[in-house]
Amino acid sequence: MSQYKIIFTGPVGAGKTTAIESISDIPPVKTDASASDMTKTKKSSTTVAMDYGIMNLTGGEKIHLYGTPGQERFDFMWDILTTGGIGLILLLDNTRADPFQDMKFFLDSFQKFIAETNVAIGVTQMDLSNKPTIDDYHIQLQGIGINPPVFSVDARVKNDVSLLVQSLLYSLDPEIEA
Amino acid sequence: MKDKSKSPLKVALHGMDGRTNKMMVMYLQGPCKGAAAVVEDLNAEIDIIDADSLEAKTLLERKLAESAKPIIALSLQELTFENILYVKKPVKVDDMLFALSEAAAILSVKKRSSNHVNSNMENTAIRQSQSLIPKTENVLPSVKDQVKKLTTDEQKKTSKHQTAMQLDEGKFNSYIGSIPGLDVNDPKQFTAATYNPKQYFQGYVQSALMVAEAKKQVMCLNSSWKPLIIFPHNYEIWLDADDKQLRAFASVVMNKISVPAITLTPVESATSSIQKDLEKFHSKDAFLWKLAAWTSKGRYPDALDIHRPVFLKHWPNFTRLVITPHALRIAALLIASPRTLPEIADILKIKPQYVFVFISAAYALGLIGQAKRKADEIIQPSAIKKSEQQGLLNRIIGKLSLNKS
Repeated sequence: MSQYKIIFTGPVGAGKTTAIESISDIPPVKTDASASDMTKTKKSSTTVAMDYGIMNLTGGEKIHLYGTPGQERFDFMWDILTTGGIGLILLLDNTRADPFQDMKFFLDSFQKFIAETNVAIGVTQMDLSNKPTIDDYHIQLQGIGINPPVFSVDARVKNDVSLLVQSLLYSLDPEIEA
Repeated sequence: MKDKSKSPLKVALHGMDGRTNKMMVMYLQGPCKGAAAVVEDLNAEIDIIDADSLEAKTLLERKLAESAKPIIALSLQELTFENILYVKKPVKVDDMLFALSEAAAILSVKKRSSNHVNSNMENTAIRQSQSLIPKTENVLPSVKDQVKKLTTDEQKKTSKHQTAMQLDEGKFNSYIGSIPGLDVNDPKQFTAATYNPKQYFQGYVQSALMVAEAKKQVMCLNSSWKPLIIFPHNYEIWLDADDKQLRAFASVVMNKISVPAITLTPVESATSSIQKDLEKFHSKDAFLWKLAAWTSKGRYPDALDIHRPVFLKHWPNFTRLVITPHALRIAALLIASPRTLPEIADILKIKPQYVFVFISAAYALGLIGQAKRKADEIIQPSAIKKSEQQGLLNRIIGKLSLNKS
């Protein structure tokens, strides 16, 4: 049976692990470890390899949900992870010093994969920091020349994560139906 | 590209001769592992001053008076100045890193506070407390308290951060409503299936929003109903009414009797009831979106020509909006290329009322444009690229739609 996967990426603390947990049918396999570098200023543990979850579809198919590690030093894994992926979910933490910089970094890093598939962007922590606004993100994206979905997301809320993934899938083909 | 979280703090050095300056640059790069980098004064976030230098007193006084930057003073003496972080000479790595982290925390709070002070009812107290950095030993608790206060206020605005309500076709009529005697799904009645937002509360809210945003002034829209307060700096609306009440008022046509009672007045200070009722704050877009959907009742704005293609400027922030049936599909289709309203319904094989209500809501937010160029009418939009994995994508969507909790 074919292996289908959706990739979740974004900087440290953006909520990739939590988002996968929100929609996975199995307790996600986490590879967190205590943070020992700059990461520790954001949270006490972080993903050092990758996260993994599964969505079971009718007919026995499985969608594999992979979360990339946030730190740049693991970027050699990103190409391997994206091979055969359906699309990319990019989560950005709105409380970070420069979320636009983060966005550009990840869009740039996954440029080839996005060109072949699509991307949907979720902005987390907007209840802690309400600026930049979602409109501000769209203005930045205009400059890059892409127009993907950008939603406020609480990674703990299944509906938020589900809508973000749905928008990614509809971007791939608006004619698909539930 | 470098991760921003690892970017060094930008510091300017003062009161140091060339050699000390160079040594400090190397010290910050080496033993301090690049936690800070020395830059020109103009670009610096933090000032580091040799408090034992001849000009130290003048420098410190000038910096305290002119600049809001955190100051780190290096000295052989134990300093007790207010508003200054102190590192004893000879400087130890741990002490310097601690002072830098405190300065970074102050910067972060200032950034948040400056975002927040523009907001609705944050008073000058925050600005005052922000500019008065307490003595070194008290900096961290104070910073934490402020962050806590700011975050809890925003988090209490529960309506703003509530996840989307998704309407399926079955719930549409009961939630959105319909116009008696008009079948908006009948192509023969399409030309009659319009409405003018200006004749409803929606039009007055939109005008009030434009005025408040242009003047950058908190405004109150008074009507025969409930006062609606607009906070343009934070893109927020405050209204003491539930959805049921708003839905009912949205459908009332404003007549010659009700219109003169509608006024827009500046609000100088928010009342205590507003400060208490943070859950009655709505995001401007979410409020306007549902107001337009309820006003439309499945019709489309009369400013749009149904025979001309429309385009969507960007995706709406669906996780914080009422999602009408097929809204995500319509958005995806319109992002790909402009279409006329009947075309959208045909391609997606859905009732026109779902297209009209989406268009009305998105139009209210300024997200819909009508293609004006002749070329947009002449050139056939490209055919939708069907995914080879359509079956699989259908099944994933089906799975996600089942799990809405």
